[in-house]
Amino acid sequence: MSTDPTAPARSPLALPVADNGRRLRGTDIRRERSQLRRNLKRFLVDNRLNLLGVVIVVGFVLLSLFGESIALHDPYAQNITGAKLLPPSFDHPMGTDELGRDVLSRIMTGSRISLQVAAVVLGFAVVVGTLVGAVAGYVGGVVDEVLMRVTDLFLAFPALILAIAIAASLGRDLRNTMIALSTVFWPWYARLVRAQVLSIRERDFVAAAQSIGLSGPRLLVRHVLPNALSVVIIQLTLDVGFAILSTSSLSFIGLGAQPPSPEWGTMMSTARNYFRDAWWYITFPGVALTLTVFAFNVLGDGLQDALDPRSGRR
Amino acid sequence: MLLRLVVRRLLFLVVVLFGLSIITFGLSHVVPGDPARLMAGPRASSSAVDKIRERYGLNDPLPVQYVAYVQGVVRLDFGDSFTSRRPVRDDLARYLPATIELALAAFLLSTLVGVPLGVLSAVKRDRWPDHLARFVSISGLALPVFWLALMAQFVFFGRLGWLPDGERLPVGTDPPRAITSLYTLDAALTGNWAVLGTALSHLLLPVVVLAYGSLAVITRMVRGGMLEVLGQDYVRTARAKGIAQRGVVVRHALKNALLPTVTSLGLQVGLLLSGTFLVEIVFSWPGIGRYAVEAIQRLDYNATMATTLLIAVVFVLVNLLVDVLYLFLDPRISYS
Repeated sequence: MSTDPTAPARSPLALPVADNGRRLRGTDIRRERSQLRRNLKRFLVDNRLNLLGVVIVVGFVLLSLFGESIALHDPYAQNITGAKLLPPSFDHPMGTDELGRDVLSRIMTGSRISLQVAAVVLGFAVVVGTLVGAVAGYVGGVVDEVLMRVTDLFLAFPALILAIAIAASLGRDLRNTMIALSTVFWPWYARLVRAQVLSIRERDFVAAAQSIGLSGPRLLVRHVLPNALSVVIIQLTLDVGFAILSTSSLSFIGLGAQPPSPEWGTMMSTARNYFRDAWWYITFPGVALTLTVFAFNVLGDGLQDALDPRSGRR
Repeated sequence: MLLRLVVRRLLFLVVVLFGLSIITFGLSHVVPGDPARLMAGPRASSSAVDKIRERYGLNDPLPVQYVAYVQGVVRLDFGDSFTSRRPVRDDLARYLPATIELALAAFLLSTLVGVPLGVLSAVKRDRWPDHLARFVSISGLALPVFWLALMAQFVFFGRLGWLPDGERLPVGTDPPRAITSLYTLDAALTGNWAVLGTALSHLLLPVVVLAYGSLAVITRMVRGGMLEVLGQDYVRTARAKGIAQRGVVVRHALKNALLPTVTSLGLQVGLLLSGTFLVEIVFSWPGIGRYAVEAIQRLDYNATMATTLLIAVVFVLVNLLVDVLYLFLDPRISYS
């Protein structure tokens, strides 16, 4: 976000990958490590926004792993008689919902759903996208043409609307939403990896590897793809926020997770009906979602500036 | 060359629509869920359900249903909506103007605010306009549009009571005589100032909320473009010739800095169209976004598919328009 396009190209977080094809020796690795540490300091300490992003992301991940077990209340336990729509208090820091459930505990539990969906969707997208992109870029010719036209077909729609169409056709539940979002995300990775493969395969170290007799999958997997990794990682970080946001958006309109799931979008979809009496119910899940998406965006931007300073920002 | 570009894109559009229709049709017909039962209602007899199934051809083999569907779509006949029981085409015609009004206003707002804000941010780098612009561009991408809509509704309607909570006009107010079917424009054209004011007050919240996301993207892109251009030699030359700051920025730098932003217009339209689905629901805005969401919730396949197809067409056409526009703006570009 705060990049200066005139700044000299630097790569503070460059991963220790031998991009010239030679093997890393001990001294190289030591040098790379101290370099990495220095870069990490520049990335986190010199840029407060990045630090904030990392802190929130770490908090979010911890919450997804342990949120349900450390929650003060059972996120599903109803108490219709005594605790309906209570405002925030010491016992319920974020109030309670229309069935007397603790909003904070539900938000803490819901973070796991968001992370799970993002992991499944982006995992699929990266694997399939990399496979398609790598094959298209490496083999070229008719294969490339066919694979890329199919990819274009998926990119021809606004992502969220394609996801809505697919999720709606499949039926309303969280698994179908994951399928829909996976369908939407992979083409971006296919395009990205293909472009990387096309440019990397022209580099000298690939020619060198070919000259010693390497070819086919081994050359692609061992020498070409590792060098496309940083670009994929940047895209991945930027997409986590978008995937979480899309999941909640779909849940909000009634696709995706269904009540009583504590998914954040689902919670807000219900909370909508009570927003005049219970501001806390609609406010806190939204704050949680906004902070999470914000943190992943900041992190993705920071990584992009760090790893790939010349690339265009989206 | 231009003609070739247009023809090629239009051919691609046909392929895209074909693909989409297969995806949505295929998916919606292989999964369980019985539209006939849904349409007849929970208490209908099974013979009534059968009758509906017969009438809408739901008993035919899938390929037959698909061919029938495509034949209809080519004639702009999307079938009947299962819920409104009217032809989907009539429904779309009825709800489309509201969406056009909303999306167009949001587009204008985000451009008219985003471009100056981006320029200001680049020129006053690291001073408060820049901080403001960065806040907008960071928050705009992170704020869920439906949550922003709900919060705006909560504050400006629920707490302050300054603005209405939704719909295009209050119940009991007649819309202005239809010329364009965009209420604000029609009211202005017919000189119906009272209705214009009311319509604007209803439009305000949904438009600002919808525009915010794309405002963020535009601000960010213009800022980036300006920063890049302002560092270039020709700008320094212009300054050296004694041209005032304003002239350098507006006449020399902005033109080139806007090019990347124009390319992102396609993306903007995608954002706005997706946003209408969420914003219209919150503000009960009677447009095709709300229509589509309601159709989805009621398993109304015909309506869902027609809306999705319509949006795909709009999206591809706008992108085509952007590419053509780009060709005129930047003669260095050629699409080969």
